[in-house]
Amino acid sequence: MAQLHVPKNPTQPSSSVSHSLHSQKPKKQALTTAMVSQYGIKYAVHIITNHFGPLVAKVCDCLLKKGPLPLREIVRYTELSETLVRNCLLVLIQHNCLQPFLLEEEGGFGEVNKVSSLYMVLFDNVLHRVRFSKFMAIVSQEFNKLCVDLIETLLQHGRLSSEQIFDGFRDSTEGSSSGGMEALQENIHKLVMARYVERCPISEPFLALPSEEEAAPARRRGAKSAKVFLEPETLEQRVLAAAVPPEGMRFSFELNPEIGADREKAENSSTGDKRKLDALESGTDGGFVDKQVVLWRVNCEEFTRRLRHKICIEIVRTRLDDEAATVFTAMLNASRSEEKKIKTASSVPLSENSIYAEVIKSEKGRNMTLDYVISVLVGLSSSPPFVRVVDNSYSIDYKHIIEVAQTDEVESIVYKKYGKDAYRMFRLLSKTGRFLETDKISDSIFVEKKETANILSKMWQGDYLQMEKLVAGPTQFLLWKVNMINLRERVLDDMFHASLNLSLRVAYELEQQKEILHLGVDGPMKEKYEKLKKVRFLLESSRMKLDDAIMIFHDF
Amino acid sequence: MSRLQGPSSLKRKRPELNSPVQSLTEHERILYDVIRSKQDIGIWTRDMKKEAKLPDNVVNKSLKALQVKNLIKEVVNIQNKGRKHFMATGFEPSKEISGGAWYLEGSLDTEFIESLRQLCKRQIEKKGVATLEEVTDLINSYPAFNVDVTKQQIEEILRTLIWDNAIMEVKSNGMGEFASIPFGKVCYRYVSKGGLGGEPRAGALASIPCGVCPRISHCTPDGVISPKTCVYYQKWLDF
Repeated sequence: MAQLHVPKNPTQPSSSVSHSLHSQKPKKQALTTAMVSQYGIKYAVHIITNHFGPLVAKVCDCLLKKGPLPLREIVRYTELSETLVRNCLLVLIQHNCLQPFLLEEEGGFGEVNKVSSLYMVLFDNVLHRVRFSKFMAIVSQEFNKLCVDLIETLLQHGRLSSEQIFDGFRDSTEGSSSGGMEALQENIHKLVMARYVERCPISEPFLALPSEEEAAPARRRGAKSAKVFLEPETLEQRVLAAAVPPEGMRFSFELNPEIGADREKAENSSTGDKRKLDALESGTDGGFVDKQVVLWRVNCEEFTRRLRHKICIEIVRTRLDDEAATVFTAMLNASRSEEKKIKTASSVPLSENSIYAEVIKSEKGRNMTLDYVISVLVGLSSSPPFVRVVDNSYSIDYKHIIEVAQTDEVESIVYKKYGKDAYRMFRLLSKTGRFLETDKISDSIFVEKKETANILSKMWQGDYLQMEKLVAGPTQFLLWKVNMINLRERVLDDMFHASLNLSLRVAYELEQQKEILHLGVDGPMKEKYEKLKKVRFLLESSRMKLDDAIMIFHDF
Repeated sequence: MSRLQGPSSLKRKRPELNSPVQSLTEHERILYDVIRSKQDIGIWTRDMKKEAKLPDNVVNKSLKALQVKNLIKEVVNIQNKGRKHFMATGFEPSKEISGGAWYLEGSLDTEFIESLRQLCKRQIEKKGVATLEEVTDLINSYPAFNVDVTKQQIEEILRTLIWDNAIMEVKSNGMGEFASIPFGKVCYRYVSKGGLGGEPRAGALASIPCGVCPRISHCTPDGVISPKTCVYYQKWLDF
């Protein structure tokens, strides 16, 4: 295997004046879009290639790299025909990976503002495509098989009208009876009420020019209950916010007693989700179509929220114990209905009594006394505090739990890559939160100064540390710091890279061993078949576990 | 000489100011006075030559004589280990020279440090939660050590255990496991959920070859280094 050596730029000694020099190490490649890193894009394009083919992937790649574009620009960059591009866009819209929108832009001097029709890839929804099995596992724990089948159907098709769902079901054994159709309706209703299924967003929301007030820097808004830090809204966030149907309509599914009898009555008439699809097909850009059909799709937001809960429970269980996880789960259940956003920093405050009432509903918590639950809550609010206590009310501190999980992940990489002493140095620096000089680190960790400098330098070369030089006369000091924000982004990009690699390796193994696959489990190559099965299981389960970590760094 | 056996070297000895000075030549006396004036800091040979204004050969000869007469000793200067550094025998090297309580003859006394670490860790594991004073008292009551350690020294040791993620620093809330500790007092709690052999639990990325790969930045899907050609993957999947 070729060995490539990429030397770091040698640091330059300064003059005798005391000042600090930034390290002259070459920077990693900048993010190619505001939101998505280099390997985030490659991984997303890989997913789309596997699911929809290289042409759709090419369009996706173009939009991820260039940002939202109008049709003509997509045609220009991809060098595909307009028809092909339209078809690719249709596929991406159908599968909720693309959101068209209208953007108002300032006109030139003396000209009116213009409105452009743009297309934006929804990176998060592309990533969700590898999580469908996790979504179905969640539904299977709460609902019956029919619901699981419904979710599977919606995931496979992206978006369907009620009639399309009913038509597909009619052909099955369960659908042949009228009782079966009623059951189907009821189950769709259940899934919508549980927010696992939602109406599709508005086909082409309009984004007006922001007012001066909207363009001002973000303010921190402290609500009494859930504290939400308002970062400046990205274009994607604005588009998604504009596209989402009003809350009352988004999760509104009316049961129709005459299901299947009258097609017109079965359709609601509020939103025109199919408008954009028809416009694309007809070649008109943003044109109106008389037929307005409600389309339904899986609500990935709700599944992400459930996955966040699930992973938080496991973090608590791992860090503390099963009892803490039981009480924590009860707190989640008690506060779930108030939770509005996935990235809520903390839950609504809950009293001891309301938490206890929820705890004793569960099998594991049935025999717990109130005093015991309170003692567990005390444990949960000890360092590291997963729960905050204010005036005898308890709130889950999601932000902190996720940060703890992120830090654990990064520290475990440092340990495995650079060893125990490096792990200690890294933890010292990340807890200190500021620059420390080599000698200070050496004294704190009880490692010889020369060895300390070696280890720190290796971590810096691997982009785990920042380094600055301070020159005072003839003496030069090296200062080190952990920048956790930058490091999280870098680790996330490595996770995308690793996920891509795992997927490519699975494909490679299957390709290499396709003869064995063809012969099957009882064939002459039984042993090799079993080995291949284990290899595939290891790669794919690693990928799923890594996907949980990606969610911790990206989605939560 | 380890601090686990033998006389204590943690406590600073008082300089023997009244010990008789044997008959010295004029050059020896000049040199001895220069060295002694530096007390527990000591002096580098090159600096003493400048200060005493004596030629090299005279200094070298006088240094040997003073050492034979046990009036001076050579010590390791932790700041510059390569330099010959001398001190009057009545003085113990200061922290700047010796490196502090944790250094022995110019190097970290790793055996002593590690023994203290393990002992502190076991004490806190037994108690679940302990204050700095409790740990210090427990260590000082331990028979294997001939030295008394200070609270500050134990605090330094406990900090290394925090960086190891073996213990964590917490504040008492006066309830539960903290019931015997005053509210708000800093104490140390054992972290029971470590990985195997004290290692942190391997995260998702650290569990696969890519997570710890030294060549990840050169790895591309179809490059010379790729998941298809990767030797680390080959080893990982060769079970």
